[in-house]
Amino acid sequence: MSALSVPGVRRRGRGDRSAPLFAGPVVLLAGLFLVLPMGLALVFSLTEIAPLSGKVGWVGLTNFATMAADPTFFRSLLNTALFALVTVPGSMAIGLALALLMNSVLPARPLFRTVVYLPLVISGVAVGLIGSLLFNETSGVLRALALTFGLPVVPWQSSGPAAFASVVLITLWIRVGFCMIIYLAALQAVPPELHEAAQVEGASGWQRFRHVTLPLLGPATFFLLIMSVIYSFNVFDTVFVLTGGGPGSATEVLGTYAYDTAFGPARDQGYGAAIGVVVFVLTMAFTLVQWRRSRAARDGAL
Amino acid sequence: MIDRRRLLLGGAGLGAAALSGCAGFTGQTGQDGEAPQGQTTLTFVNWSGDAEKAAFDALISRFEQANPDIRVETQTVPYADISTNIDSRFQAGDPPDLFRVSYIDIGLYTSQGVLLDLSETIGARSGDFVPGLYEAVVVDQVPYGVPHQIDTTAVLYRTDAFEAAGITDVPTGLDQAWSWEELAEVADRLKGVTGSDQYPFVYNWQAAGAYRWLSWLFQAGGALLTPGLDAAAIASEEGRRAVQFTQRFFTEEWVARNTSTKATTYASDEFVAGAAAMAFVGDFSLPTIDAGVDFEYGVLPMPRDVESASDLGGNAVVAAAEGPNTEAAARFCAFIAEQEQMRTYCEATGQLPTLTALTETELAFEVRPDLMPTFVEQATTLTAEQVRQVTVPAFGRINALLGDELEQAFLGGRDAAATVDALAAAVDGALG
Repeated sequence: MSALSVPGVRRRGRGDRSAPLFAGPVVLLAGLFLVLPMGLALVFSLTEIAPLSGKVGWVGLTNFATMAADPTFFRSLLNTALFALVTVPGSMAIGLALALLMNSVLPARPLFRTVVYLPLVISGVAVGLIGSLLFNETSGVLRALALTFGLPVVPWQSSGPAAFASVVLITLWIRVGFCMIIYLAALQAVPPELHEAAQVEGASGWQRFRHVTLPLLGPATFFLLIMSVIYSFNVFDTVFVLTGGGPGSATEVLGTYAYDTAFGPARDQGYGAAIGVVVFVLTMAFTLVQWRRSRAARDGAL
Repeated sequence: MIDRRRLLLGGAGLGAAALSGCAGFTGQTGQDGEAPQGQTTLTFVNWSGDAEKAAFDALISRFEQANPDIRVETQTVPYADISTNIDSRFQAGDPPDLFRVSYIDIGLYTSQGVLLDLSETIGARSGDFVPGLYEAVVVDQVPYGVPHQIDTTAVLYRTDAFEAAGITDVPTGLDQAWSWEELAEVADRLKGVTGSDQYPFVYNWQAAGAYRWLSWLFQAGGALLTPGLDAAAIASEEGRRAVQFTQRFFTEEWVARNTSTKATTYASDEFVAGAAAMAFVGDFSLPTIDAGVDFEYGVLPMPRDVESASDLGGNAVVAAAEGPNTEAAARFCAFIAEQEQMRTYCEATGQLPTLTALTETELAFEVRPDLMPTFVEQATTLTAEQVRQVTVPAFGRINALLGDELEQAFLGGRDAAATVDALAAAVDGALG
């Protein structure tokens, strides 16, 4: 079983000089649009930038000191963590459930698959706008539905927890399709003979899922976990359009707070960059920890 | 050939394309956006509603006719993005020749010395402008822009809702304006007749409009800043009264809870959608509202407490100090400040002029001219002291802080005393 997860190593000819040629464009683009801006953000986080002249003044760790005493920053950090804590397992669990369903004998599978996946191809801003039509508490679709069925009307925009829930629900709607597709691909790679063997041994449906399917989904789960956590920590467009971080700071996340700080009326780009650096460090730390755990687990399996 | 930059500019490119089409009729432009030799092209970054866009296009077309050697290329960006757009262009060392800026944001630009000194054109005519409004563009006696138009808030109301609530005593002039208690009474009566889909009113303090709350502070006789403009003066009895009264909008459900200062809705949209029986809105919204509503509506002045007051909305047109086209830009600024040009622009857009000669005559407004006198009269309640308070360099920041702190009072239930104290601390912090 473990042999399955070890990729085959292909030998390359020594005279093969095409590798740099293939890698070149990607490395160049990544360097220009990924590594360079990241490096600059790190530099800018230690500076104060005049809003119009763009004059850069060195301030050392002042921005981070400001951050340590900034209640809105901590509120955003808490919101972001909570957001990740709910949306990451939520979207993965629902995605897995849907993938199992789509992998079964469900009729019209291609149609359902498309419907679930569709939100992912819409831009986050459009999703946010659709959300604001749904959740508008005086004229939204959900309000109309609640009134029709005699249910209590939820103050989706003016109550903090409800607004937070609206952001979570919209995010789940977007993310579930992605998780489903990845899990579906992984499920289809599970060799049917393993299930057959388990069945012959008398394993129940749940036991087969728990002891055959789930372990083989490990790499997909690892990939989704990392991608989802990164997505959740970087969430910006949907929140920005749907709630603007309000009411109060109830749905302010690190992404929207960094943007507001750097490009809003405060025009404090140095501090905005510092918040961006914190987001980077947090996601990087999480990825490293997960990567090590996953590698340890794999080595253990070997 | 269509130039590539214009294509890349996306939304802004659309505005430019529409403009070049429009200017094309006058025969003043070169082919397909390529300026012929000897012609200067000015870039003008602007935001605008439909009526404003048309009025600006017409204004530019007349300017180009009068100045065949200059072409003006408009780049229209959403209002919410204007600061980011302008600031990044300045940072990149490539500011537009001309741009539009609201009075509440202008202080930042005038304080940084990045705007063109218009002493020779606008300064030479300083006596022609309403003094308080002229001051909005002046720092150390130097005018840095054209105070192009102002707008101010008054109250639109649905006649059907007023009839249903039996409200017949509708004030028409400032001298009959409701007191705060009368407004409260009207709101309560409206609450009795409007359904669950309609609130008694909506106030226009959303979407960077938090400064419009200051109207209540000024009505109460309070001030945001000290006369020296260097410290907060809001932690006062007047400040607390203004917070307490505006908190009642929410506690007594006169306004929808999703129309607080940080909401993403616009008061004018809520009114058009039928979600409010009355709407506190600026005159600049009239063309949009009138095109959207399917009910009868009238106008009444802002309520008053110890004073009458409303807000200073409106915008200046400014030019960047550095650039190859400053002479042409100054000519454009002088042109739009001409009496006839300002009159035509204001009449088309429902906005108010800044030239004394025009404020003293009756303009032929195109949309609901019957409602405009109330706005015109309301604008007379703006005082020079209030204008000075809302045009300090830090006001953009103060405006955002007002939105944050007021929302805590409106939705978070923080009491008035704590709110004005927090506001005072925040304002002092922003003033540095």
